Amino acid sequence: MTTNSLRYLHHPQYSSLKRLSTSESIPPPPSSLFIRPSSSSSSSTNNLSSTTTFSLSSTTSSTSSTTSTSQPISFDALQHHLSTQNFRQADEETRRLLIVLAGEAAEKRGYVFFSEVQFISEADLIAIDDLWKQYSSNRFGYSVQKRLWQKVDKDFTKFFLKVGWMKKLDTEVEQYNYRAFPNEFMWELNDETPEGHLPLTNALRGTQLLNSILSHPAFEGQEDDEEEGEVGGEDGAVKGLRDGAKPLSNKFFKPDYSF
Amino acid sequence: MASLVSSPFTLPSSKPDQISSLSQKHFFLHSFLPKKTNNQPNSKSSLKVKCAVTGNGLFTQTTPEVRRIVPEKKDNLPTVKIVYVVLEAQYQSSLSNAVQSLNQTSNFALFEVVGYLVEELRDESTYKTFCKDLEDANIFIGSLIFVEELALKVKAAVEKERDRLDAVLVFPSMPEVMRLNKLGSFSMSQLGQSKSPFFKLFKRKKQGAGFADSMLKLVRTLPKVLKYLPSDKAQDARLYILSLQFWLGGSPDNLQNFLKMISGSYVPALKGTKIDYSDPVLFLDSGIWHPIAPSMYDDVKEYLNWYGTRRDVNEKLRGPNAPVIGLVLQRSHIVTGDESHYVAVIMELEARGAKVIPIFAGGLDFSGPVERFLIDPVTKKPMVNSVVSLTGFALVGGPARQDHPRAVEALMKLDVPYIVALPLVFQTTEEWLNSTLGLHPIQVALQVALPELDGGMEPIVFAGRDPRTGKSHALHKRVEQLCTRAIKWAELKRKSKTQKKLAITVFSFPPDKGNVGTAAYLNVFASIYSVLKDLEKDGYNVEGLPETAEALIEDVIHDKEAQFNSPNLNVAYKMSVREYQGLTPYATALEENWGKPPGNLNSDGENLLVYGKQYGNVFIGVQPTFGYEGDPMRLLFSKSASPHHGFAAYYSFVEKIFKADAVLHFGTHGSLEFMPGKQVGMSDVCYPDSLIGNIPNVYYYAANNPSEATIAKRRSYANTISYLTPPAENAGLYKGLKQLSELISSYQSLKDSGRGQQIVNSIISTAKQCNLDKDVQLPDEGEEISAKERDLVVGKVYSKIMEIESRLLPCGLHVIGEPPSAMEAVATLVNIAALDRPEDAIISLPAILAGSVGRNIEDVYRGSDKGILKDVELLRQITEASRGAISAFVERTTNKKGQVVDVADKLSSILGFGINEPWIQYLSSTKFYRADRENLRVLFEFLGECLKLVVADNELGSLKQALEGKYVEPGPGGDPIRNPKVLPTGKNIHALDPQAIPTAAAMQSAKIVVDRLIERQKVDNGGKYPETIALVLWGTDNIKTYGESLAQVLWMIGVRPVADTFGRVNRVEAVSLEELGRPRIDVVVNCSGVFRDLFINQMNLLDRAVKMVAELDEPVEQNYVRKHAFEQAQALGIEVREAATRVFSNASGSYSSNVNLAVENSSWNDEKQLQDMYLSRKSFAFDCDAPGAGMTEKRKVFEMALSTADATFQNLDSSEISLTDVSHYFDSDPTNLVQNLRKDGKKPSAYIADTTTANAQVRTLSETVRLDARTKLLNPKWYEGMMSSGYEGVREIEKRLTNTVGWSATSGQVDNWVYEEANSTFIQDENMLNRLMSTNPNSFRKLVQTFLEANGRGYWETSEDNIERLRQLYSEVEDKIEGIDR
Repeated sequence: MTTNSLRYLHHPQYSSLKRLSTSESIPPPPSSLFIRPSSSSSSSTNNLSSTTTFSLSSTTSSTSSTTSTSQPISFDALQHHLSTQNFRQADEETRRLLIVLAGEAAEKRGYVFFSEVQFISEADLIAIDDLWKQYSSNRFGYSVQKRLWQKVDKDFTKFFLKVGWMKKLDTEVEQYNYRAFPNEFMWELNDETPEGHLPLTNALRGTQLLNSILSHPAFEGQEDDEEEGEVGGEDGAVKGLRDGAKPLSNKFFKPDYSF
Repeated sequence: MASLVSSPFTLPSSKPDQISSLSQKHFFLHSFLPKKTNNQPNSKSSLKVKCAVTGNGLFTQTTPEVRRIVPEKKDNLPTVKIVYVVLEAQYQSSLSNAVQSLNQTSNFALFEVVGYLVEELRDESTYKTFCKDLEDANIFIGSLIFVEELALKVKAAVEKERDRLDAVLVFPSMPEVMRLNKLGSFSMSQLGQSKSPFFKLFKRKKQGAGFADSMLKLVRTLPKVLKYLPSDKAQDARLYILSLQFWLGGSPDNLQNFLKMISGSYVPALKGTKIDYSDPVLFLDSGIWHPIAPSMYDDVKEYLNWYGTRRDVNEKLRGPNAPVIGLVLQRSHIVTGDESHYVAVIMELEARGAKVIPIFAGGLDFSGPVERFLIDPVTKKPMVNSVVSLTGFALVGGPARQDHPRAVEALMKLDVPYIVALPLVFQTTEEWLNSTLGLHPIQVALQVALPELDGGMEPIVFAGRDPRTGKSHALHKRVEQLCTRAIKWAELKRKSKTQKKLAITVFSFPPDKGNVGTAAYLNVFASIYSVLKDLEKDGYNVEGLPETAEALIEDVIHDKEAQFNSPNLNVAYKMSVREYQGLTPYATALEENWGKPPGNLNSDGENLLVYGKQYGNVFIGVQPTFGYEGDPMRLLFSKSASPHHGFAAYYSFVEKIFKADAVLHFGTHGSLEFMPGKQVGMSDVCYPDSLIGNIPNVYYYAANNPSEATIAKRRSYANTISYLTPPAENAGLYKGLKQLSELISSYQSLKDSGRGQQIVNSIISTAKQCNLDKDVQLPDEGEEISAKERDLVVGKVYSKIMEIESRLLPCGLHVIGEPPSAMEAVATLVNIAALDRPEDAIISLPAILAGSVGRNIEDVYRGSDKGILKDVELLRQITEASRGAISAFVERTTNKKGQVVDVADKLSSILGFGINEPWIQYLSSTKFYRADRENLRVLFEFLGECLKLVVADNELGSLKQALEGKYVEPGPGGDPIRNPKVLPTGKNIHALDPQAIPTAAAMQSAKIVVDRLIERQKVDNGGKYPETIALVLWGTDNIKTYGESLAQVLWMIGVRPVADTFGRVNRVEAVSLEELGRPRIDVVVNCSGVFRDLFINQMNLLDRAVKMVAELDEPVEQNYVRKHAFEQAQALGIEVREAATRVFSNASGSYSSNVNLAVENSSWNDEKQLQDMYLSRKSFAFDCDAPGAGMTEKRKVFEMALSTADATFQNLDSSEISLTDVSHYFDSDPTNLVQNLRKDGKKPSAYIADTTTANAQVRTLSETVRLDARTKLLNPKWYEGMMSSGYEGVREIEKRLTNTVGWSATSGQVDNWVYEEANSTFIQDENMLNRLMSTNPNSFRKLVQTFLEANGRGYWETSEDNIERLRQLYSEVEDKIEGIDR
């Protein structure tokens, strides 16, 4: 994919100048709001299967141009961090992997644009998710988050509260603010840690990235077995859910009409 | 009797006890928004009184320490210390980055840096740290410092160190700060004074956003400039310009090189060290940016080509049929890499299927880029369906000098809905969430009020700011709200008219069947009918629309029967509780105030009911009311109550079941925008935001009410479209008053004959019959008086009569789409002509006429006021001649049908032949035949323009534009007489730049009024100055008069406003006692809730002024503010400064004292209860020492301050709204309350100033009430005008009487005869009585009830017969309404 050459083509007056150095090459300052994607100095690229179909793209589902370079991606580091219960590192590594899997452009940019999630293969996402589940007794992972998210009718505020990414403010009115990264997050797995707390996905840029991840075909139908019992216990669980406006993203999803 | 008077809302009489027990509960008082009580561990906090902020009481608690980087010492490298102050927090992370990497890599120096956000300097200790930091700094950098108070602080601190500092770099800021610039031999200290070509560049464009843009131009024209400079200076100037390029290039790389360059060139310790730096990396000044595009574009076609090749999005988004949203971005956010919030909006829009064209610019003028990138150069059509500015700034001028006409011009070309959303700048996310005020007032002024002047809508806060990194981040729910709304507006442009669904919403206030379709000055149903007919013609589907407006009313309020007998209006939809809960995400939050749904409002016990009627794709619905109107508990104690379930159900229905493409709120005004929430800058839990959901909101609003229109714009995202108030007429004379005027004219011709005394006797007795004896001192009948005295008595009566006669009143009600005929505009034009307009070199007609007979008009006014007969007569002749001349002119510009034909053409033909000028022709036969022709010509040219505007009809046109997703031209709201720019109506109403008031002209008029007020009070009060005046500040008043009443307060305490370089008023200075020539008068300022919302900066200014005056070292007998503050400080054991608290209003998010609601619904026991209501709701003070705390309850100080008041005072702002027209004047009147609070129990004098005419007056309240009664309620011209509007007219008559009772209740200044005469006019006259009863029985019942109430409460003494008759009538009409036939 062409990157900077285009600019020079269109704007010859800049040709002698250096290209825009975006912030991805600089170590980020401490930041709050979940996460700022870590710099990805890694140049490893992926080799994905191109068999999946993507909901957002009606063009060819081939992802070859972003994934043309060799080197199968390695999940070893992630597994290592998780197996040592180093969730903080595992979280960083997951984000890095996601960026790498999303393609070269995302790597350059330093974050994943929501529409690039479709380029990540089912297999890779499932692999990441499986690792998280495996080392957290099914408490962490995207598929866990997806289940929780669906239970609150895909309302991100409710979801963020449920997984502990937002905190209640001490105001007259019930209000919430985002937790500051990294200190206000929980990096250990214990009874206090909310289900689905990790891995974190950046909300600095809104919720469309997480939406795309959770809507990825990789997580279709995974949550079935965990569906029983709890649905509807939430005060808000019955709302809106039944008005039919919601696209049925999951053919296996069994809506629960009980109050 | 009691049971007759009591309305269904009155509570049992055991109330007082309950009240006192309730008042103990802070919970009720302070929890103005509900709090879920379920399983929250810390739900106890709801019982706490929670202040918006803690700590320093300022708006922001962030500290510069998070920006401080102190390097570790190594290798004996020298340290370069940099201190910066910026408005743009986006520089923080970029600078920190640059410094950190420098410290890691550099081998020549270490960098220490600390940054301050300009707002933080308000805090005293932070400011001290700042000064301290400067003491050992090498380099100072400042940028965008445009807030005067803070600019002066920066200036003072840096100035001290300027000589010692190695370099001072200030980028676009106020000139005071710019002058600090210093780079070697390069200095800007001469800025604004020097004639050097270099500085001329800065000066070239005084107007507009010139300053920053000429700096940019400077960067571009670098070589040319350097030619003019001597060579040694050239180097330093070159480096300054490079610095600017680095700064505007903002990336960490650029900033690194910038720091290398500056320190290498100017820091002495590094002299001789060779430090390499790269040239700045330049980015486009303006262009198109997309986060995933390979480059920036400066051509929209190229951008769209790239868009079409995107692999990551589907065909639909890339194709030609997707909605297209234009985004306007700030370049500095992009280059510094602080663009997460922009990316969020882009992702959200694309995910929702909208294509985006995000454009950016580096300067402060976006009008060029908007035209260049968003309008197709060939077809001239917009390339977008709606535009969202994410900068928050006015389109032209940013925080500096705005150029609204240029912005409007560009946006008119673009012609799509224009939304201005904003990121938090001065506050962090949490600070904004915690604040009941919401947005920081300075941000409100800069980023809400100013964009409104461009026609910007929907000030949605879409991004927060992180306290540590200073970075902007998306607020995910807000981003969603913004994006869905932007797409909905865009859809209006795309959908066909037949498909479009419109929900027309009418009001019913107070809740009563007789009140459905209430709106100020508007015949609502006739207007709706005319709108729908027009829309039908235009292609909208309004299937089944009845034949007449009357039939439409019947449909909505059920049927003819419903006027008399029906529990309900027509039910359009029954919503089950389960459906309601499903559609309304915030339903559970309402339960704290209203219990489980459905509740008993808008409900049948099982379902929630939506009232209204649907015709094709148009739904006419009745907005539910607050729901607590009749509940004294809530009126008294809740700061605000949440909307009830029925209210929420209405909007859920409109949005999710009817699926409206737009809602049209019909007329001034409803309840939606007054629902609880932040003042400005709604969050997820603010009710106006939740209720309106994603529906575009179009709102017909009276042109004369810009303040409340602005609340609707800010809180419910309304595109307001102004409508005209009905044509005004002169009140004229009737009955006894008419006789009097005839007697006076015969006196004038016969006074020197022997009949003089006889006629005077008749005049005196007739004047007494007309109850004029309270207004004019009349001698006893039959008493012999001298000829001179006779003249004076007659002169005084005459002057009163003329005052009544020439009073303007709007007759009848306006109908949308029916502009006044030309002849109906005459009275308005006469009043427009009566004002001098020095700015346009226009002399008023009365002044021209008076001049022609050798008199000065001001002297004539004074003489007439004093009752000098010959002056009264001359003034009458002037008035008559003015009317005659203008009528003659208007006649000539209209055709036979009374329509205005092309005024311009007519005028030029008229003006071509001097002798033919109609006004000259007319005047030639009067005593004013010598009037100055040139002055007249200038004036009449102006009047011709005004006439064209008065009769122009744009109200329907603008509505259609809004519904078609076009841009509606913005225009000021206000009084067409004062400001003809209000015309033609049909504009998107805006207020004004809040920092622009008070103007110098306003200050001038204020002095006159204050001096007259004080004079008057001295006369009535044994020559003593009043020590304290309690007064009210209204939003609309201050908008219309550019801050006259604000200036009045300043003049009372003896201070004057000082404007900064940009003409903004942020400072005051004391006027010396010598100049003032009297003591400083203490004040108690009660600001309306609307004033508080619009002018919080001015409240701040006032509070500072009061505190400053209290701290002046002056004798207390010359400074009553100081005197009282001392006493109060002692009594309360607080500091003088704190005791000097005089600026009060409601709590944030709450409006009015609710006395009006209590009176309108007759739901009050005694005056004490009304006074409690007033005190408990109005005793919230604004403190300039802790502005971030918002409104804080300070009841004790409020009561103490009020107890010193010798006079109460209010301003009337326009002729069409006077004391009894609206309920808010008496709602805020504290006269009786002050009497109760005063130790001596003395009733204060009560005054009303009337600046609606050229001859400003200060009258007592009782005089004004009498004048009002005579010109309106009791005037056949007025009530017959109302009766001709039918159903709605009866309600208007009833409202005047109710408001009169309100004045009795709060001030006791209503004479008995007013009620007596009203009774004989409306009740004793059988014919009238029957008309009222049959036209609107519900309102008639209320009228009868109000008479009985006036008597029952002791405000009206009358015969037992009268009362008996009223009782009888009450039960008759009751039976009729209940449908019981006798």
